Amino acid sequence: MSSDTRPDDLERLDAVGQPLEEPPSKRARGRRLLILVATERPLLLIMLIVVLIAGMAIFAPDTFPRPANAAVVLLDTAQTGILACGMMLLLISGMFDLSIGGILAFSGIMAGLAAKNFGFPPIPAFLVGCVWGVLLGAINGTLVTRFKINALIATLATLSVYRGGLQLVSGAGVTNIGNDFTVFGQTKILGIYSPFWFMAVIVLLFAFLVGRTRYFRQAYYIGGNARAAKLSGINVDRTVFSFFLIMGLLAGLSGALLASRLNTAVVLAGQGVELKVITAVVLGGASLSGGVGTIFGAFLGVLLMALLQNAMIIAHISPFWQLIVVGIVLLVSVGLDQFVRIRLRT
Amino acid sequence: MMASATNEGPPRLSIRNVAKTFPGVRAVDDVSLEVRRGEVHALIGENGAGKSTLMHLVAGVYQPDSGVIELDGASMAGLSEQGAADAGIAMVYQERSLVGALSVADNIYAGRQPVNGIGVIRRAPMYDGARRILTDLEVDIDPRTPVSHLSPGQQQMVEIAKGLSHDLKLLILDEPTSSLTINEGRHLFRVIRRLAEQGVAIIYVSHRMAEVFEISDRVTVLKDGRVTGDRDTALATHEDLISMMVGRELSFEPDMRRAAPDAAIALEVRDLAADPVVSASFKLRYGEIVCLAGLLGAGRTEVCEVIFGARPLQSGTILVEGRELNPRSPSDSMAAGISMLPEDRKESGLFIDFTIVANVAAANLPAYTHGGLLSSSEMRGVAQHYADELRIATPNINREVRNLSGGNQQKVLLAKWLARRPRILIVDEPTRGVDVGSKADIYRILRELAASGMALLVVSSDMLEVLAIAHRIVVMSEGRVAGEMDASVATEIAILELAAPTARQESAA
Repeated sequence: MSSDTRPDDLERLDAVGQPLEEPPSKRARGRRLLILVATERPLLLIMLIVVLIAGMAIFAPDTFPRPANAAVVLLDTAQTGILACGMMLLLISGMFDLSIGGILAFSGIMAGLAAKNFGFPPIPAFLVGCVWGVLLGAINGTLVTRFKINALIATLATLSVYRGGLQLVSGAGVTNIGNDFTVFGQTKILGIYSPFWFMAVIVLLFAFLVGRTRYFRQAYYIGGNARAAKLSGINVDRTVFSFFLIMGLLAGLSGALLASRLNTAVVLAGQGVELKVITAVVLGGASLSGGVGTIFGAFLGVLLMALLQNAMIIAHISPFWQLIVVGIVLLVSVGLDQFVRIRLRT
Repeated sequence: MMASATNEGPPRLSIRNVAKTFPGVRAVDDVSLEVRRGEVHALIGENGAGKSTLMHLVAGVYQPDSGVIELDGASMAGLSEQGAADAGIAMVYQERSLVGALSVADNIYAGRQPVNGIGVIRRAPMYDGARRILTDLEVDIDPRTPVSHLSPGQQQMVEIAKGLSHDLKLLILDEPTSSLTINEGRHLFRVIRRLAEQGVAIIYVSHRMAEVFEISDRVTVLKDGRVTGDRDTALATHEDLISMMVGRELSFEPDMRRAAPDAAIALEVRDLAADPVVSASFKLRYGEIVCLAGLLGAGRTEVCEVIFGARPLQSGTILVEGRELNPRSPSDSMAAGISMLPEDRKESGLFIDFTIVANVAAANLPAYTHGGLLSSSEMRGVAQHYADELRIATPNINREVRNLSGGNQQKVLLAKWLARRPRILIVDEPTRGVDVGSKADIYRILRELAASGMALLVVSSDMLEVLAIAHRIVVMSEGRVAGEMDASVATEIAILELAAPTARQESAA
């Protein structure tokens, strides 16, 4: 019984199977544009970003549109942007990682210890952080793909384990890591600190990988219908495992980068970052049921959140209101999409 | 056979001229049926004859498009499932509707547990009530046991007990014995008889002839949504009922072009076993369409899944062109040249929210990959090619599959697997939920593929379809190959007789 049969779709075809074009009236065109903006998340985000920038340029011409402020906003996108690439990949596959804050902090500590206590040169110390992230990601991936524990629960548990573990290793964090190690986080290129450039390269790389390569595009099939993907010959478990490794790598790199930027590995680094990243990624068009989303969208989500925060700081709006506004923006953009889709179906 | 109960007043259940249409399918067509108090009324028919839909209409799951359903002379129009249950109708489904983690008593009184003033469940009266009902059914179960600890037969008794906790007037049993042991089956029959004596009307849906003869007073036969006959069971014969279940015109001419009998063997299966398949052996030649026929649950789908690597092989041998294949995942079988269209295209076949292009490409991504990059122009080219060749009705190939009709979705699924250029194609239920026009298209395509030399293994529960497209028919029954016949000599009756479960018939006789 095909309850999804939609004869009305076929009626809109003419004899040779071409869609019948009604002459678009002005109102119809306006309506179609509205629907497009509401359902194509990147368009909506770009619109919001443009409106926000224009508004701030008018209301705060002395502070907001200056290069120094732009550099602040862009630097603010660095950590969330890097993490959002991995999180978007997982969400497209219908997966999830709540433990990234723990991985980030733990990896920062490991990199800091390697540099300060074991005298590693900067690059090997930085790599220690990255590799540590991959290892922790491998634990998540094993729990999810091998032991079939729901990703949400598995990473909720490992978040706790990683946070506890890093304090066992180094209860006070690692301060004054050493001047050489700061090269990754404190170098300025074109007036912007290096974490932004790390993020820019990673976002471009992932946009390419997820947009064009077969291996990464498998994520859409897995998230769209895991059973059908398996029956289509896709090795679902291995692929998902590798995505957890990638998420771990990106979280580890973020941790090492943060330690380098502060010259200190902080125990509480990345506290709450997982929710911030998931907010940005969902804002960017991901769905918790998987199968949709783009890296570009994720970046726009990150950028919008950074701009909002910056705008509200400049406007002296209380930090509590900032949280409320972020929540409302998320609800409105996802709700608008759902609302228009339901209206379109009926 | 039991004594008929008293027949005063209006019939317990009266169905008059009821019809129900789903998109593309007239599931129930002008059906009238009466069941009296204390009567056990068997409802039989092939898979897809409309039995389940009719019972869902009675139980308030669906509303009829037209016609009247009355219980004790009162109209049931507009009653929901809950309303029908409150009116005294209980339906025991093939698939159970119990909550495994909750206790037997909680299930029996689901949503109606006795509570005190502030909404807390009063356990003692609930357990007592449940215990009373269970004792009545001669079932020795502690009402505090979680349902998940019970055997299928005990769970079924809990379902019936749930019905008895209301003032039960009509009990509908849908294939009740399919998961029961013989002893549990005997017990169920005793309970049915006792309920009938108390005046409960019972509708017994089954395709097990022996049970129909043993338990029922009257029998109604459904076919293609219509009643083709009803009889007092005492006056009916086995042949009688089968011919009422079958007799219809073939609207698709059987294909008389035979594969050369000496064509090379593409696939051979020897003693294949994988629960619930006990033992299956057959051969498939190039250029040939072999249909696996049988009743639901005979193990046909499972045989296909094993060959395709989607279900582990427990014992036996699969030979592809004489070489042993022991697939551990679908990709192993795909590498051996096998494609498979699963039975449930939305759950396991298609990516329903993705475009036609993405779906057609899904099983063949490496072919469109160069240096790690997917070529979307190649993907579009292949999708367009198959959209034209299979006549997929769509404005363009970038349409999301969910917007297509069932028939066109099936063609997209076919395109997805043909794009791999398989040598062996397995199709599980090629035309389920497909309109008549697309059905003819799909038959034509399957025949052309066989004519071009491909080996096709088709599972179908539609007898008409089997007779229309098969060159050879392998009939399965209860996990075994029960027999094999050439399509030129096959009849629906011959297939049904092989397909009917035998073990139960003997025990019940």
